[in-house]
Amino acid sequence: MDSHRTIARCAGIAGLFAGVLMSAPLMAEQQNTPEQQNTPEQQDTAGQPAASQSDQSNPHANVPLVPDSPTWNSFHGQLNAQKYSPLDQINVDNVGQLEKVWEVHTGDISDGKGDTPATVWSATPVFANDTLYIGTPFYKLIAYDPATGKEKWRFDTQSSREALTQPVLKNRGVAYWEADNPVEGESCQKIVYMGTMDAQLFAIDADTGKPCQNFADNGVLNVDQWNTINPKFPLSLLQPPTIVGDHVIFGWAGKDWAYEEAPAGTVFSVNARTGEREWTFEALPEDVRAKSGTANVWTQMSADEKNGLIYLPVSSPSPNYWGGNRKEDIPLGTSTTALDINTGKVVWSRQWVHHDLWDYDINSAPTLMDITVDGKEIPALVQATKQGFLFVVNRLTGEDVWPIEERPVPQGDGSVEGEVYSPTQPFPTRPAPLLDQSKKPAIWGLADAVGFGQCSRLWDKLTYEGMYTPPTTRGEGALAYPDSAGGVQWGGVAFDPVSQTAIVNTSHIVQTIKLYNREDYKKADNGSGNESGFAPQEGAPYGMRLNVARNWLGMPCWEPPFGELVAIDMHTGDVKWRKPVGASQQFGFFMPERWGSPTIGGPAVTAGGVVFIGASMDAKARAYSLDTGEELWEDQTEAPVVANPAVYEYKGRQYVAFVAGGNTILKDQVGDQIAVYALPEDKK
Amino acid sequence: MSSSSSSRAGVMVMLAASLAGLAVAFYAYITPLTGVTGTLGAMAVIITCLVLAVLSLILPAMHGKIGRILLRLIILAVIVGTAFAASLLHLWWLVAAMAIALVGLMIAIFRSAPAAQPTRS
Repeated sequence: MDSHRTIARCAGIAGLFAGVLMSAPLMAEQQNTPEQQNTPEQQDTAGQPAASQSDQSNPHANVPLVPDSPTWNSFHGQLNAQKYSPLDQINVDNVGQLEKVWEVHTGDISDGKGDTPATVWSATPVFANDTLYIGTPFYKLIAYDPATGKEKWRFDTQSSREALTQPVLKNRGVAYWEADNPVEGESCQKIVYMGTMDAQLFAIDADTGKPCQNFADNGVLNVDQWNTINPKFPLSLLQPPTIVGDHVIFGWAGKDWAYEEAPAGTVFSVNARTGEREWTFEALPEDVRAKSGTANVWTQMSADEKNGLIYLPVSSPSPNYWGGNRKEDIPLGTSTTALDINTGKVVWSRQWVHHDLWDYDINSAPTLMDITVDGKEIPALVQATKQGFLFVVNRLTGEDVWPIEERPVPQGDGSVEGEVYSPTQPFPTRPAPLLDQSKKPAIWGLADAVGFGQCSRLWDKLTYEGMYTPPTTRGEGALAYPDSAGGVQWGGVAFDPVSQTAIVNTSHIVQTIKLYNREDYKKADNGSGNESGFAPQEGAPYGMRLNVARNWLGMPCWEPPFGELVAIDMHTGDVKWRKPVGASQQFGFFMPERWGSPTIGGPAVTAGGVVFIGASMDAKARAYSLDTGEELWEDQTEAPVVANPAVYEYKGRQYVAFVAGGNTILKDQVGDQIAVYALPEDKK
Repeated sequence: MSSSSSSRAGVMVMLAASLAGLAVAFYAYITPLTGVTGTLGAMAVIITCLVLAVLSLILPAMHGKIGRILLRLIILAVIVGTAFAASLLHLWWLVAAMAIALVGLMIAIFRSAPAAQPTRS
């Protein structure tokens, strides 16, 4: 389930540093009929190499994992989710000379103080058809000249600006498709797709900005027509579809914190030209769907076209923090699942959290990479998780690259009725965790002192038996680290295929999870309760409350840094370097950079040896050296850049585009700015 | 230069520095992409710069010794606090302005002490 609502409840980072300030003066063929629905019961093919299943029907058998030419025509740049550009005009030596060559303000912005909910804009621009395409949180599609920012066309979906399933108006952009054999003179041979909060998928001609009449109902597909199980809320389409060949594949987002019974997390594949449904995928076993829900895919997917596979990051079943209604095995929940692109059939799946009680959705597209380990070339897949793990497996079979061990985990304190606990959880042996969740986080002395021992007292009232301590009704609840925001967020892992270096940004946030029986929840769900992270899990015997562990002044109770940028050598799984990333900021005051910042949004990496990233609270676009982690350049943006950057080339000039949309999780600062940078004309 | 004129010079330096600081803080508050646009922190230093200007004007009018000492301590606290806040806001020109204001305060303090008058005969 979309983590933003969850994070918003738990993090409340907007006030995170208030106390510091005060105290320190602080994601085939078309098979029209019969439609194929794929369920966990079809896992008999799990573990089989995928390519054999679709070799004969794979028109993309020769598509390389890393494109031969620079492209940024999908959410993560390419379908491999490497966020890698082979462009090197901008490099470590000259990146310091970057200048803003154009910026635009879309006008679609709301701080939430009026009648319109706040906007959260995390859309990475897509560069295709010599155009930069983007979607907005008011659900408009806009096409820009990539060199000047001049608007080519704009399409308004006329979507209601109602936050139907999210607390905010949220958009992560658009997807692009073009026909392999375009028919000259016909429209919609190139299409831009975007979904809306109310589950409408729009297909718009990429050249003209007009709806594609042959797609669904005059260019609009009502996805909610397929929402027939537990239709508690619309299947919000906030993440752009993943386009593989002529397949438009998408999941949806909703709110599994609100209901025990929620819509089942169906993933849909529709024909790119017609919108006709091809196949669907369900992570939930059929006998569970009537009483649980979700286990959806709300973030981006990745794909290996050559081998005919699409990889799904699957979220947890509902409700988030109690699983007494779902004691059956749900092997595809909280997993990375590989499907045959043409059929949607499960090829392999790895579950990263058994019986998830922590909202540890798999929240980012797995990054596909070819790596050399012990002299052996491996077609690998790296799945980053909210827990701060990097699970590395063979992307064709799902088998371990480095051993992934099942280790015993805490079994609860007996306070929660009807619950069952998984005796073990998977732990990767390499790479090392991106943050140290092996022990109870240390109390930050400064915060404890300023709080007159409040953090110490809180720590004493929290249940903690190690990572995966289950939610409890006792005391102040269970300590969870990392929190349900992650760890690693949906920006995911970037990868330089030349040096085989993976780059990922993290957040370090301690959270408390407490369950309330219905009677106590009704008492607690009053007044300020909702603002401090209460959610009903309606239908379940327990409501819940999430809080970030802070003192009375809002200072984090745990030690900094609060976020880092980490480089991993994928030959060995060793950390090459790690640095605090960005600076935390509140009320305008910048905290020391050694404290780092919580991060939302991810990195991009180039052949010039440069890592571009925004993501931090302080609303800055930054460039780091891929080799050393040294910060090389920064520029102020209108709001935090909570989207991965886009890197593209147009008429011989390399550009880097940052979208500064802000996120109320980080702080109360939203934006509608696209800022595009390049070297000065005489320096390129 | 007489001690009173030196004191006035110190006050003038403080006043000029506080007004310069006010301009820097106001610019940072209203101008897009300064990093602190529209923030509470920037507003705070606008206010403290205004306070500093007012206090600078009041200083020469203070007669009582204890009152003067107290006012100087308050001015010192405002200068140091504003400079620290400015550093957290990354408003380095404002930090510089406060450094100048501090110099002005020092001038006002150390040159305002009554000097021994030569005896005329």
